[in-house]
Amino acid sequence: MNRLSALALQLRAVWMLLGVALILSVATPFFFTSSNLRAIALASSITALLAIGETFVIILGEIDLSVGAMLGFTSVITAMVLPHTGLVLGLLAGLGVGAGAGLINGLLVTKVNMPSFIATLASLSILSGLTLYFTKGNPVSISSDSFRLIGTGQVLGVSAPIWILLICAVVFGILLTRSRFGRQVYATGDNFEAAHLSGMPVIRVKVAAFVISGVLAGIAGFILAARLGTAQPSAGKGLELTAIAAVIIGGTSLLGGRGAVLGTVIGALLLGTIDNGLNLLNVSPFLQDVVKGAVILFAVFIDRNAGPIRIIVQSFKRMTPQTPHPTKEPAPTR
Amino acid sequence: MQLKLRGIRKQFGENEVLKGIDLTVNGGEVVALLGENGAGKSTLARVISGAYPANDGDVEIDGSHVAFHKPQDAMKAGIQVIYQEFRHNLFPQLTVAENLFAGDRSGRHGRLWSNRAAMQKDAAELLKSLGMTMSPRALVSDLSVPEQQMLAIAKAIGEDASLVIFDEPTAALDQAESEALFVQVRRLRDEGVAIVYISHRLTEVFGLVDRLVVLRDGVVALETTPAESSEREVVQAMVGRSVENFYPKEQHGTDHTVLQLRGLSSEGRFSDVDLAVHAGEIVGIGGVQGCGKGSLLRSLYGLLPVTAGDVQLDGVEFRPTTPRAAIASGLCYLTPDRQNEGLAVQQSIARNISMATLDAITSVGMVDAKSELARGEKMRVALGIKARSVNQPVAALSGGNQQKVLLGRWLMTNPKVLLMEEPTRGVDVGAKAEIYRVMNEQTSRGVAIVLVSSDLPELVEMSDRVIVMREGHVVAELAGNDISQESVLHHALESAAS
Repeated sequence: MNRLSALALQLRAVWMLLGVALILSVATPFFFTSSNLRAIALASSITALLAIGETFVIILGEIDLSVGAMLGFTSVITAMVLPHTGLVLGLLAGLGVGAGAGLINGLLVTKVNMPSFIATLASLSILSGLTLYFTKGNPVSISSDSFRLIGTGQVLGVSAPIWILLICAVVFGILLTRSRFGRQVYATGDNFEAAHLSGMPVIRVKVAAFVISGVLAGIAGFILAARLGTAQPSAGKGLELTAIAAVIIGGTSLLGGRGAVLGTVIGALLLGTIDNGLNLLNVSPFLQDVVKGAVILFAVFIDRNAGPIRIIVQSFKRMTPQTPHPTKEPAPTR
Repeated sequence: MQLKLRGIRKQFGENEVLKGIDLTVNGGEVVALLGENGAGKSTLARVISGAYPANDGDVEIDGSHVAFHKPQDAMKAGIQVIYQEFRHNLFPQLTVAENLFAGDRSGRHGRLWSNRAAMQKDAAELLKSLGMTMSPRALVSDLSVPEQQMLAIAKAIGEDASLVIFDEPTAALDQAESEALFVQVRRLRDEGVAIVYISHRLTEVFGLVDRLVVLRDGVVALETTPAESSEREVVQAMVGRSVENFYPKEQHGTDHTVLQLRGLSSEGRFSDVDLAVHAGEIVGIGGVQGCGKGSLLRSLYGLLPVTAGDVQLDGVEFRPTTPRAAIASGLCYLTPDRQNEGLAVQQSIARNISMATLDAITSVGMVDAKSELARGEKMRVALGIKARSVNQPVAALSGGNQQKVLLGRWLMTNPKVLLMEEPTRGVDVGAKAEIYRVMNEQTSRGVAIVLVSSDLPELVEMSDRVIVMREGHVVAELAGNDISQESVLHHALESAAS
């Protein structure tokens, strides 16, 4: 029962994605081509990675507004240290910076008892400010070819960012659904006190979720910088909102205790598909945010009214007379 | 006024909760509405108050037909309800006076700008007439739970009610506060107000009401008076079968000391508590709210600081630090507040049951979902949890079954000591009996139980020994025939009486 309904929540995003894809396939011949679909996946990968981390935070009933700023900060730091440290150390530095920023967020929320909205709003501001300060507002170019492969490389005909997204989605999806840590995330998000009284390390669970969010922002930062060949100080601006939107469309509850990685990834793909489709249809870029906002409203509307909608659908079913097996109706005698 | 219900039916989807209820309540009488959870009591209260429209049936007031479409209609007719979830009807960020007059449309206290002085004066008068001592300026969020409950009652009866429905009003009150409430109920009755009184606590009902109406499965199963009936007869009508001994107490006490407290203190809460609890024994702690009985359990579980004294568990020094450490040492705590700190209601039954014992089914960080389900199913059968499957979210269960899930979580840990606070609060009669059965079963296995309960009959009947606390001190230890409701009350209230 529980498993079924969790699936149904994620299915909602799947239905919406299929619906949008169907409409676009009819509306424009350029949509349903393998190169375009891959372009969508590629473009969505960065949002999806941020959103996976955000999923952990939101299931815990918290929010992380700093993921976009962390992405910008880690990509700039990585680009700056790469020439001195080499690839591996550079990547580790980027991940470390992301984890560190997440750790600070987590400690502010748990130990200093700040609302996560405020704590991460402050770190958004601090991190984007530091990014501009370190770069003086200029892009940092990347000369390392091996680093650039993260964004441009191909394995089995699929771009590296898509592989990275797939691996992260599977790893973190399993972590959430199958691991003890995942159980602790759901329980803590559902009822913090109950989890605490059950002996769960609730503080550590929350801090860990913010660290995961930071690390995934770091990975997303690598991809963005590697694709562009430069680390842009303003790169992550506003991405936190897209990531949160993807999480919500994916069926995760802002109140905590409910959600899944699969839904989040589909939510990110849906937002990417809408972006892509509106471009293909030559819709003014200024209107694209309007459409995305409407999609978010629609997703949340469906979520909130799942019960009533089901009742309406069922009563329709009851009204239409049952015609079982229409094919087996008596065939006209010959 | 006279309220007359005829053939009231109420259906939620496929589920028929009320199947034709006839009920008459006259001014100047108190009618108890009894029944297990799910029998339809609260639904009936909501139909009377206009919160739910009835599917069928007739409501008459003083002989004329009425139809309430919303609670405001019923309020205009003088019908007031104090719901079990009374906190939903209070504004925590407003003062006592502002809450009292939130629904006042007379304009006495100003229309556009409120006249605080007048409001506070009126509030003080109203509170005084009800014998309440709280300040009209106090913020509701600063009041204790019993004070909030009393405020909700004051708010309802302050509005010139002619029919008042009390839904489990004493659930959050201790004995002394309950007595204060009964005084108000009797005063209202004597003024000619009709009163419907919903409660699980039979003893208080028998002492308070004029008539008893028992609901079972949406119909009236018994209508009688306290004089013509007995608690046993009423319980039988509630559960629909004969209940031989409602408190099936078994003796399993041994002389092996499991939990030993010496001079345990928590500053400002309780001090110098000495207590030894033996394997297989149930030790009850009595006392009024705020006497330190709940704080004692929470301190042992590591939720409140211990400032002096020491604890021994099975002869080994134990320092309460965190719930995690307590569980690891074999100590469990059943919270009285299962909604806020007990259950993760969106998660499944199986997951809730395994919340405290995940380590046992985890290898390399991964939970073995199969054995989790198997364990949950075993516990579901053992405790008689009524659910379609252990994959069902806990939110869908009734109060009694939720409590069993919570209890199951702790039994899963194979505890040495079970600290139980209000184990049967908001639980129906059937589930109550099952919880007592589980307590017997645990003590027969040598588990030591510390029972804190404001349900006096339960405390007295289920305990092998009772200690009574007052203002943070242990003032009496009762055993054997000395344990009675009167003796517990006597020791709990002594200072108030002198």
